[in-house]
Amino acid sequence: MRRMLARGRSLLRAAAAGLRASPTTAGVATVTIAVCLLLIGAFALLVSNMERLLERFGQEIRVSAFLEEGLPVARQRALLERVRMAPGVAGVELITKQAAFERFRASAVGRAALLEGLDENPLPASLEIRLAEDQRNQAGLRTLAEALRGIPGIAEVGYGHEWVEGYARAVGLVRGIAVAVGGVLALATLLIVANTIRLSVYARRDEIEILRLVGASRSFVALPLLLEGLTQGLVGGGIAVALLYGFYRLLLPSLQGGLQLLLGYMSPAFLGGGALLGLAAAGALLGVLGSAWALTQGGTEA
Amino acid sequence: MNRGAEPAHPAAGALVRLFHVSKSYLPGSWALRDVSLEIQKGEFVFLTGPSGAGKTTLMKLVFGATRPSEGQILVLGRNVGRLGPAGIPALRRRIGVVFQDFKLLPQRSVEENVGLPLDVLGARPREKRARVFSILKRVGLQHRRFHHPLSLSGGEQQRVAIARALVGEPEILLADEPTGNLDADLTLEIMDLIVDAAARGTAVFVATHDHSLVERYGRRVLRLDGGNLVEDLPVAGAGR
Repeated sequence: MRRMLARGRSLLRAAAAGLRASPTTAGVATVTIAVCLLLIGAFALLVSNMERLLERFGQEIRVSAFLEEGLPVARQRALLERVRMAPGVAGVELITKQAAFERFRASAVGRAALLEGLDENPLPASLEIRLAEDQRNQAGLRTLAEALRGIPGIAEVGYGHEWVEGYARAVGLVRGIAVAVGGVLALATLLIVANTIRLSVYARRDEIEILRLVGASRSFVALPLLLEGLTQGLVGGGIAVALLYGFYRLLLPSLQGGLQLLLGYMSPAFLGGGALLGLAAAGALLGVLGSAWALTQGGTEA
Repeated sequence: MNRGAEPAHPAAGALVRLFHVSKSYLPGSWALRDVSLEIQKGEFVFLTGPSGAGKTTLMKLVFGATRPSEGQILVLGRNVGRLGPAGIPALRRRIGVVFQDFKLLPQRSVEENVGLPLDVLGARPREKRARVFSILKRVGLQHRRFHHPLSLSGGEQQRVAIARALVGEPEILLADEPTGNLDADLTLEIMDLIVDAAARGTAVFVATHDHSLVERYGRRVLRLDGGNLVEDLPVAGAGR
């Protein structure tokens, strides 16, 4: 145990000495990681807000199940419970005849002529059904509509085809762009960071050569360099998170007008704790992978 | 002269044994050809010959920096050609190496440079400090231990390199042209340190072009030419 602790301390000392010995190359690698992760973080921020916007739009997708005329309130409530249990349903609301009329009247303000001549309420009671997120597509809607049509007491089922198609296209587009651009950004980051760290390892080839000459094992040479890569990555990731938050706070007020136009009442949100931890962890991973790659490229052979 | 022949020296206590060793870096050309020899504990051997004779290749073979194309090499009882990835570092921890260009780390102090083999051996800090101080005292540089190599003269830098090679108390010391960059006075100073290591039981190989050194110290001489071991003289010159 004491030997392991001593080895751990010596490893930390070696990594710290390595960073002190070449502060410029270590600094360049750290800043490179920070800049690359800042770009990825900014992109993630954009995509996460677009996803939130789409999520909000998605909640607007509803299926209306119009109930048969004259259905007693107890049956209406029983239907509500039955539909609530159906697969793919996120929530159900019962709109009584009266509530439907009130809603229509509220939406027809200024168009009073529409209500003229109505002796009685012609609107049926209905169930307004919100779909689970994974069902907000044509197939999900069609399946639910078919299931609803088979339930006694439901006279008709309606939903907006075009709106649903547009929503599905938008979700597909945003996710496709996120995967494609995110993938390219991640790959570019990995290559840039790995190459920068490779240069910093290359700058220390004399030290590596001498260590090998005096009998250092592969792990003795590699572990401090991997630890240095990990440190550079973590610090770079931390700087990226700090810069991203700084820019977000700084730029948000000037973008507020445009964002309100785009997002409506929804205000933009910063990345969650998980995503921020992920960004810092990605930095650490990049640092270690970059160092490992540099070592396999000829840093430690005999 | 000794090419292809069995070693001329007795095998008992031999730290290095080569059996018909050949090394080729390119097909059709031999850096070393059919060399057999033995080096005993505490023996001091000069390795001479013109540039390209195979001196450096022979040293590289001994400390496992390259593997033989043919033949067998036993160093400290281990077959170097068959050592795995962990075996080579373990072997090198028992061998000290000195180079013409010193190979010191300029950004580390003298003490840190000399202590590197002890770091590798896992020595405790207190033990490391004591051993580094002791070896620096032996080479006369204890007062320079906190200096950096670039602030030292060439002779002092080579003394640091020798201290680094000896601090782990190696059983074999390999010195490749250790005085090649030094003037006559410093050359003798460095050679005396290496001879002293042999006197303490370390088997020493010194590769050199300098015939005057061979004459002056009068030790066993292995002469290589074109990759062949052409001469193995037990004692050369007047001795000292």
